[in-house]
Amino acid sequence: MKVRDIMTRDLTAVEKDIPVRELIFILNNAEMPNVPVVDEDGKLTGFVSEKDLIRAALPGYFEMLHSTSFIPDMNQLSRKLTSIADEPIEKFIQTTVMSVTEDDDDLQAADLIIRKGVKNVPVVDADGRLVGRVRRIDLLRHFL
Amino acid sequence: MIVTVTLNPAVDKMYWVEGLKMCDVTQEEFLTRAIRSSTSAGGKGVNVSVLLSRLGMDNVAMGFVGGHTGHVVVRDLRDEGVTTNFVWTHGETRANVTLLQVGREHSPNLINEAGPTILPDEINRFMRRYRRMLARATWVVLGGSLPPGVDPGIYNEMTRMAKDAGAKVILTTGGEALTRALEACPYIVKPDTREHMTLEGKGLTTVDEIVEAGKHVIACGAEIVIISHDVTGDIAITRDNVWEINAEVNTSRFKNLVGADDVFLGGILYKLSQDAALEEALRFGLAAGLASAESEEKICRNMAVIEEGMKDVTVTNL
Repeated sequence: MKVRDIMTRDLTAVEKDIPVRELIFILNNAEMPNVPVVDEDGKLTGFVSEKDLIRAALPGYFEMLHSTSFIPDMNQLSRKLTSIADEPIEKFIQTTVMSVTEDDDDLQAADLIIRKGVKNVPVVDADGRLVGRVRRIDLLRHFL
Repeated sequence: MIVTVTLNPAVDKMYWVEGLKMCDVTQEEFLTRAIRSSTSAGGKGVNVSVLLSRLGMDNVAMGFVGGHTGHVVVRDLRDEGVTTNFVWTHGETRANVTLLQVGREHSPNLINEAGPTILPDEINRFMRRYRRMLARATWVVLGGSLPPGVDPGIYNEMTRMAKDAGAKVILTTGGEALTRALEACPYIVKPDTREHMTLEGKGLTTVDEIVEAGKHVIACGAEIVIISHDVTGDIAITRDNVWEINAEVNTSRFKNLVGADDVFLGGILYKLSQDAALEEALRFGLAAGLASAESEEKICRNMAVIEEGMKDVTVTNL
């Protein structure tokens, strides 16, 4: 099986200059935990997730989670999110991004998702333009 | 790549009933139970996308979606194999209801919602995404009504953008949006005459009226104009020809007319995008539309039935 046989054909993506507020609106309404970032040609340039926003609002949060005594300060999260709500998302984007192509084997996508612990992997064409994504649930559906 | 745009998509809810009485109903009549029902993504561009996908042709569907019904539209399209590229809005995607009386399916009753109000930021977000998509587009279908908040000149702007990017535009809409878009000279124009049998203010009742109105649109720069004449017949006008496309079909065989007109257009696009001659495309399109009308399912999926139906379709040069 190829990636094209199991992928979700959706081009939901954002540009690096949209504000944080808009990104949260898109993540919430599209029900996506993360979203690819593309340039004006539709080429994949990065990735941004809920986790990246939480990390931006509460630096060190994920590291502190390992401490059983850590209690997150929700007021701080709210204040910081409000302060960055109108900032462009550019500085919160992960620019090192894994991807697969439609012609790759399904196992290649599965390997990335399982080994790297990511929720989905973008699929790009020969020119690096976004054509879809492979989600964990696509793999589970496919391998059942 | 074929791109379809439905700015005001819908969830199509269809109910087949024995009969429906409204107003002054008795205690026994106020509840109408549906014999059957179906739910599917709808809207002109959406219907074209589903047909193309069922015929094995990759395509991308764009537009606005929102709320629970927006998820139904996106989910349905993905299940059909259509690539989705929708902008999420604050409002809720509309639901359109069709009531079909069993035995009289050729004469359905439709209740269409207006759709959610689209905010200026959402329109800007969509136009940016549309511009990006045009780099991959060979054909663009602009279809259906405009939701509240969207300027009637938007199809004009989108047609110009698509043509500048080298794509051919098929436009199917009505009212002011159609009139304004004609100035940008789409490649194919199919006026939506469900509510008003007019084009640019002129009547479209007789063959002569249809031909005259079509020729005027061609003179303005369109390449092909297709106008419905009756349920089983259309007229296509080009610079050099006028064709009447007809089918010898008993309308009592119709089970579901919703979307049949969009399937007709989708069938034409399916053939033209493979460089078929216009006459063949028209014949295939009408056969696809009739095959859909004769199936309870909104959009036919059986290529063999469409090809068999082409025998019933005649294309005559007027």
